[in-house]
Amino acid sequence: MPPAGSAPALENPFHGDRQSAVEGERTFGAMNCDGCHGGGAVGWVGPSLRDGRWRYGGSDGEIFQSIFYGQPHGMPAYGGLLPAGAIWKVVTYLQLLEPPANVPTQSWK
Amino acid sequence: MSRLVVFTLLAVLPAGGVAQRGDWPMPAKDYAATRYSSLSEITGANAGRLRPVWSFSTGVLGGHEGQPLVVDNTMYVVTPYPNVLYAFDLTREGYPLKWKYRPPVDPNALGIACCDAINRGAFYADGKIVYNLLDGHTVAVAAATGKELWKTRIAELSQGETTPVAPLVVKHRVIVGASGGEFGIHGWLKGLDLETGRIEWTAYNIGPDSEVRANGGTFKPFYDRGAELALTSWPADVWKNGGAPVWGWMSYDSSLDLLYYGTGNPAPYNPEQRAGDNKWTASVLARRPEDGTLVWAYQFTPHDSWDYDAAAEMILADLVVNGRPRKVLVHFDKNGFAYTMDRATGEVLVAQPFVDVNWATRVDVATGRPVVDSTKLTGASRGNIKDVCPSLEGGKSPASPAAYSPRTGLFYLATNNMCMDYQATQATRIAATPFIGANTPYHAGRGGNLGAFIAWDAAAGKKVWQTPERYPVWSGALVTAGDIAFYGTLDGWFKAADARTGKVLWRFKVGSGVVGNPITYTSSDGKQYVAVYAGIGGDWFLLSGDVRSDDPADVRPPADFMPDIARHTSQGGIVWIFAL
Repeated sequence: MPPAGSAPALENPFHGDRQSAVEGERTFGAMNCDGCHGGGAVGWVGPSLRDGRWRYGGSDGEIFQSIFYGQPHGMPAYGGLLPAGAIWKVVTYLQLLEPPANVPTQSWK
Repeated sequence: MSRLVVFTLLAVLPAGGVAQRGDWPMPAKDYAATRYSSLSEITGANAGRLRPVWSFSTGVLGGHEGQPLVVDNTMYVVTPYPNVLYAFDLTREGYPLKWKYRPPVDPNALGIACCDAINRGAFYADGKIVYNLLDGHTVAVAAATGKELWKTRIAELSQGETTPVAPLVVKHRVIVGASGGEFGIHGWLKGLDLETGRIEWTAYNIGPDSEVRANGGTFKPFYDRGAELALTSWPADVWKNGGAPVWGWMSYDSSLDLLYYGTGNPAPYNPEQRAGDNKWTASVLARRPEDGTLVWAYQFTPHDSWDYDAAAEMILADLVVNGRPRKVLVHFDKNGFAYTMDRATGEVLVAQPFVDVNWATRVDVATGRPVVDSTKLTGASRGNIKDVCPSLEGGKSPASPAAYSPRTGLFYLATNNMCMDYQATQATRIAATPFIGANTPYHAGRGGNLGAFIAWDAAAGKKVWQTPERYPVWSGALVTAGDIAFYGTLDGWFKAADARTGKVLWRFKVGSGVVGNPITYTSSDGKQYVAVYAGIGGDWFLLSGDVRSDDPADVRPPADFMPDIARHTSQGGIVWIFAL
């Protein structure tokens, strides 16, 4: 693992680019990310990636490093499987998913 | 001691063990997998007075499938990952721990287990508690002390294999298998030596006859003819990642010396990537426990296009079918049909739907094959196939084993009333990542209730009664000589029902949804106790959306087909004990 604090220095070269997000979504399916995180990244056996909340940080570099190096509890390291550009496009896809309003209360009638 | 009592003791005695009549020494209580107890203190007349006498938080949030064991006044509880083993002293007030065993377990297993980090329980044999750790190890622990006796690596996380299955011990063989139908494993069964843990044999469920242990002279399936069936029913090399995991329950007939188990789905879910029957996925296999030799096999769902694993239990019973006494095996498949089979030969005697089924119109018992509705066949080129019943959660989940009472002659089981749409997609196998290729949203079946608890006559192939439940029912069943059937619900009720009518006589809210299997036993005080786990999870860890509360960085929307489940339950593992 890289030392804490080094990740935020990385910047997504495709930040906000819609075409890159489309390619990232394709990679998200092709590399079986959806098998753990669910279609649309809503969460499955792995956590939701579209709730606007991040276990290991949601900055460009933090998301990139989670994919590149993997994370404990079963997130594989994709650094050896995908070129950096493809990982950045997945980051772009995830960042452009519309998170729900972050309302911490759930109520029933 | 009367001769009758001696006979009863012998009948339940596990290999070399000291289990008594009131013990529960193996997952289904007996080798026939009946989950039936001859205890009869709790009856229809008094079940309404059941009360909780003890509870214990396991400290683990994952889905609490499986069941405790009770042997010699000690209760043994295996938790989901990280697979802690607790031994409670039932002779002392408050049932304090005698010991606990905390093995190291690789956390990477959490990302390889398809559907929550569950464990289906342990087996007591010869003074040992034997069970599987999620990360591909089998361990044997001394029942008296908690000391680890051996630990054997049986499975490879790097190939997508995890090991939540409960072992079955037959004489000196420990029989184990691996999950990974969603990771494209090459499914197998292994036989270990009970004393040393050494792997004595490996028998694959798919591939060449030599690896499947299907020898020309001894392998005699009832319907299929020819050699290399588990190879020629696949495209070249596709079988190597074809699934056929072993994650359900096993049973054993000592007079036939046959071990029975079911295999899971073929991989991937997109059937167009694997033309052919894909034997022996979604099948029952009968093997010799000593060396794994395959004696017969039968495939419930050839070329499975709907993720209809056949991992569910094979319950052994003696029934009169069509006027003839038969030694049968009864199996409630995910595909919605209940099968009553001759367990010596693999012949299907009765096959009738126990829930609404529309992927096939019937099973032809002359050929053994389902008559498939071709409009329900799935595949990446076929688009989104709407309204397939049952859903891939199964008409009954293999995770929730049925019970059989020789007194009523009926089988008791939790069922799901759900259908699905099935959009298959091309899947790519990357080792140790999911190999699935389908999107399959669910909806409620006819009537709107998502589940039911039912009684089934397996000789006639008919439902006798049913109790509708609002949510899918995912607990195992227990039935007793007091003619009480026990089960739990996803919204956290534990219930006692009249086994003859289905009438619910008593219920108690246990703190979390029930996906475990109730047991009953007697302690040194002679009383009858009933125990069950609370702790929603398993597939409901994935599907219930917002029942998780342990991770501030993982907030999910409610499940669309049961949006209010989180109103009634959250995760959390508790062991409960009840008595009069």
